[in-house]
Amino acid sequence: MLKKKWQKFFILIVSITFIFGSSSAFAEDMIHIGALNDMTGATSDVGKDYALGLSEAIHYVNDMGGINGKKVKLYQFDYGYRIPEALTKYKLFKRLDCKAILGWGTGDTEALSPTVTRDKIPFVSASYSGHLASADKTPYNLFSGTDYSSNARATLTAWFDIKWKNHPDFGKRKPRLTCSYMSSSPYCSAPIKAIKDQAEILGFEIGNDQSVSLFAIDTKSQILAMKKFKPDVIWHGNTTMSVAATIKDAYAMGLGATHLINVWGFDKNLIKLAGASANGTMGATVCAFLGEENIPLMDKVLEYANKYNPGIPIEKRLIRTVQAWGNVMVLWEAMKRADKAGDLSGESILKNGFETLENFEVGLGISPVTYTATDHRPGKTITVYEINDGKFQLVQKVDLAKRWSDKWDSWLGW
Amino acid sequence: MYKKNKILALTAIIFAAFFIASCVATDVKINVAAPTEENFQTPSVTLDYVDVAHYWGWWYFSKKVKPTMGTQGDYGAPLDLAFIFNVQNPNPYPVKMDSIKFTIGFEDFDLNTVENKETQWIPAGKTNQVRVHAMFDGRQSLLSLLVTGGFKLQAKGLGTGAGAALKQLGQWWETIPGFEFPIHVKQGAAIFSTEEGIIKVTAFEKTYP
Repeated sequence: MLKKKWQKFFILIVSITFIFGSSSAFAEDMIHIGALNDMTGATSDVGKDYALGLSEAIHYVNDMGGINGKKVKLYQFDYGYRIPEALTKYKLFKRLDCKAILGWGTGDTEALSPTVTRDKIPFVSASYSGHLASADKTPYNLFSGTDYSSNARATLTAWFDIKWKNHPDFGKRKPRLTCSYMSSSPYCSAPIKAIKDQAEILGFEIGNDQSVSLFAIDTKSQILAMKKFKPDVIWHGNTTMSVAATIKDAYAMGLGATHLINVWGFDKNLIKLAGASANGTMGATVCAFLGEENIPLMDKVLEYANKYNPGIPIEKRLIRTVQAWGNVMVLWEAMKRADKAGDLSGESILKNGFETLENFEVGLGISPVTYTATDHRPGKTITVYEINDGKFQLVQKVDLAKRWSDKWDSWLGW
Repeated sequence: MYKKNKILALTAIIFAAFFIASCVATDVKINVAAPTEENFQTPSVTLDYVDVAHYWGWWYFSKKVKPTMGTQGDYGAPLDLAFIFNVQNPNPYPVKMDSIKFTIGFEDFDLNTVENKETQWIPAGKTNQVRVHAMFDGRQSLLSLLVTGGFKLQAKGLGTGAGAALKQLGQWWETIPGFEFPIHVKQGAAIFSTEEGIIKVTAFEKTYP
């Protein structure tokens, strides 16, 4: 009897060893994440660098143990900034059982927003549109940096604090603001209402908007129209090339205003394209510039960029890489927390993950991140830079929530 | 009953023998050349040739034009190019190619970045051929040129705006069957790994033809 039992036990052990020892399927316990990127379309000048950053950051996540020991597999696709393709790829992500998606632009993010809300899939995108920060309306849309509207308010405030108070006309008249952007682009128009509201709070006179296409390289007619109003500041809502064209024309035609630039128009390429006319321009960023010293985690960003894309010199990489890392880092933290709570569903990633982050230090120069059940604006302190002698210099950190504590809550969703 | 146990025991022994044999084989292989960070030589990635995989000529029509069927919109001819690479593994053990990625430039304009993440194993000392497709959409390429290449088009003397960009695209699409302009494969990176998880990255670039 004992002999028979031993025989059965032996058979069982040998069979289990064989099956488990020789099958890699049991060794792999991968968590799938999708990524929608523009590497070929209208925003590929910044989209490619962002896409590289996502991929490098996921390598880092896996090297650091993944999601509590489970590795991440990134399904990354180029959708060429075309919404139909984004919708198609989204369906693929669902079939691949992706737990979360790293998205891209404002247009496709806003187009997919009702769907991700219905499907309860966290969608962490590079669109920092304030419209996506209201947890009541778009609970599954998230991002790590400060939103466009807060950035616009902060940049105008920094200019008002630093530049206007030293202006010879300070105290004699109202400062004047004009907005220059392509109104049909969701990204460009996203913060316009907010910056005009901020201008009113600060006592500005607001001129007519100037319509500048994202494709523009000649903006002389718009500059002529601006000259009639004599603005002190111009808010640029476009991306790098058309912003560079506008500030070059403004410089050449002696407009004499300070240029304030939204996130996706303010990077090293602006200095390259606009040259001397870029000096004095100001902009808020959602993180530190690539290679900035004494910034936590920046060494890893540089290390992984060099390791995984050795054919692209660091000098050619942009702040977009750092932005990508920021989004991956918050998603990683949220997923680790949800997994630890024993539930890696989209709803759990949101509730047990993102919405438990409170003043979470991402590093990378990103404002400490907090998401609540109602407010998905991740940060309140906005860092404003100025270009001087071809270099980015930090000029002010604006804490909007502290300075306008009575208004901060009402600005949600702007 | 005794016979049944005998069969079961025999089956278990056969399974065990297979398993041990496979382990021994792996050990022998590892003993011959265990991959290490030091001895893992980076595989080489060389562009062999570029093929116009599928061709529709050049056309572009805007959303003002009513199609016979389907949705009205801005459409440009697609272009499907295939890039064929030789990937050579100089190591005495197999390595896995995890991904291959590169940017494609037509003359001085970067138009596309493609990545293939389907993995494949390259036997010790052997060369695999890898085909990577790159789809160029006429409309998408137009927007890319307009938003990122406006200054370059102007510098090239083609003028400004959509007209200049469409003219440039037409030239490329119409002359590509004869490869009458340089196609740059640049900023290439292929990631390789061993079974033990050691990773190496190969950088590559080439201009074709």
